[in-house]
Amino acid sequence: MLRSDQILATVEMIQKENLDVRTVTMGLNLLDCRGGNIDQTCEKIRNKIQSYAGNFVATCEAMSRKYGIPVVNKRIAVTPIAFVGAGFNREDFVRLAITLDEAATAVGVDILGGFSAQVEKGMTATDREFIASIPAALAATTKICASINIATTQKGINMDALAMMGKTVKDLAEMTADQCGFGAAKFVVFCNQPGDNPFMAGAIHGLEEAEAVLNVGVSGPGVIARALERLIHNHPAPGTLQLDELAEEIKQTTFRVTRCGELIGRAVSLSLGIEFGVVDLSLAPTPTIGDSVGEIFKILGVDVIGAPGSTAILAMLNDAVKKGGIFASKTVGGLSGAFIPVMEDAMLAEAVGNGSLCLEKLEAMTCVCSVGLDMVAIPGSVDADTISAIIADEMAIGVVNCKTTAARLIPVPGKEAGDYVSFGGLFGASPIMPIRNVGMSSRFIAWGGRMPAPVHSFKN
Amino acid sequence: MKKHMIISVMSKDRPGIIASITGAIYHLGGDLADLNQTVLCGYLTMILSASFDLHVTKEDLVAAISHIKTDSKFEVSIKELSVSGDNGAELPPTETYILTVQGPNKAGIVHGISQFCFDRNINILDLATTLKNNQYTMALQLDLRKCSLGLENLQKELDDYSRQSDLTVMIQHNDIFQVTHEISMP
Repeated sequence: MLRSDQILATVEMIQKENLDVRTVTMGLNLLDCRGGNIDQTCEKIRNKIQSYAGNFVATCEAMSRKYGIPVVNKRIAVTPIAFVGAGFNREDFVRLAITLDEAATAVGVDILGGFSAQVEKGMTATDREFIASIPAALAATTKICASINIATTQKGINMDALAMMGKTVKDLAEMTADQCGFGAAKFVVFCNQPGDNPFMAGAIHGLEEAEAVLNVGVSGPGVIARALERLIHNHPAPGTLQLDELAEEIKQTTFRVTRCGELIGRAVSLSLGIEFGVVDLSLAPTPTIGDSVGEIFKILGVDVIGAPGSTAILAMLNDAVKKGGIFASKTVGGLSGAFIPVMEDAMLAEAVGNGSLCLEKLEAMTCVCSVGLDMVAIPGSVDADTISAIIADEMAIGVVNCKTTAARLIPVPGKEAGDYVSFGGLFGASPIMPIRNVGMSSRFIAWGGRMPAPVHSFKN
Repeated sequence: MKKHMIISVMSKDRPGIIASITGAIYHLGGDLADLNQTVLCGYLTMILSASFDLHVTKEDLVAAISHIKTDSKFEVSIKELSVSGDNGAELPPTETYILTVQGPNKAGIVHGISQFCFDRNINILDLATTLKNNQYTMALQLDLRKCSLGLENLQKELDDYSRQSDLTVMIQHNDIFQVTHEISMP
């Protein structure tokens, strides 16, 4: 048997420090569901989701009970729907979204992702119809998440699609104005979108994936924060603890957290007979007190989040998380890094409220972590071109640095900087982030075309 | 054909006990299969499983051990297992659970929790306790195969027990501890 102190360390982690498996996401190929018309296609999609995911939620819950670790979300990610619905028009795509929503409800999953298109180089006629359908589709559904990949390191940025993104975000917020623009919280724009990410809103089942696959998202910022606090508490004398030792603690703790996800993922996979895909090692905060990535900044030595040093701390955290997790899991994938979704993290939201964290610092921080400007509530008055331009900056960071970046901005109708918005639950709450230089980027967005891919050599 | 014996030995701890006892077994032609030993408050206790030729008797083994020169006497007990090969051992369970119990030290903690297990037909495979700063901590490895309660009901009854006894009692699957502390996955 293991030593008692090891056993107790793990018991602490599970019972007191919010250790959970954040999500088990079933990726499902829907390319074979295209029927001769929209009705047939909807029927095939409904049947396929039911046949693959009928026992999915019950199995996750059984494994969660067996191992005593909560599986917070059970989700489905499907093939990007613009591929599945080639040739359909915008009304058809709204019907597909409603069908997916109903199928997701029928099997009991929390969210379904993959209402998506990949247009990093060019857009087909279907892609344009699909993008036009997004505001109505998300307003008409509750469980559907949408994402568009508009940039890659290999192809550059599709500036025509980018111009449409600002408008889509605005339309989404305005169509859901009675919910403070919540529609925009279910839509994310990507650069280098991974095909095996289990986290929402950006989960898809990429074209490179097998028929069905299970991906697991582990989290645990609370576990890491408590481990760091313990280490610091046990070294009270100045000079007895250095940053590399703190990084090592993060690494070891991540190893443990990841292992729990790997165990649950393998068990669900075995039980359902569906291939186990990847563990995504992301540190994803929740609005729960004690489950914050923002808190880790303070523990590691900045008094407010956004103070000089914040980017460096995040770089170290992100790297230590990867190092610990990669060894713990057979296959790692998805986004795998620290998330800084403002509304979903009480401490980050607080930093926006007291002015210590501004958009530009947040953007700088996204250069060294996954995933990007995530869940940032901005004034409803910010125009579509400015939103597109903010997204363009975020995409450029991803393109040049060969990493995934994303933008999920919520222009909250009728609210201005300093006002407060709350979506409740895992989506959280935050003050509205002030945006500087609004309306100054329209000529840039109006060019359209493509921003060429960067050189992949001469990297000094 | 061989005969199997289970030998239990207790003595004041000193260097050389294991060498002496296993030496006695070896000189009788015995083949040692397994050995488990622990030291508590300066006393060593060990349990050994060994097989011998059919002509070797319990008395021969007791005599061999009693001839060992030592300051403190060995307390020995030997059980001869039936020759049929049925050595009484069940297959070890494929799944075990770890129960942890923590609380301020008081009389009857171990008895209480072990009685709880007995009442529910739960077998304790291993148990370790530590007392530090008047906090008593116990970790038990459990075999739930014969317990008819489901895990959920067991969890509820443990919660009740936890409240009544003022102890923090948790149960988790053994694999969780294994994967978080060992390199290999189960």
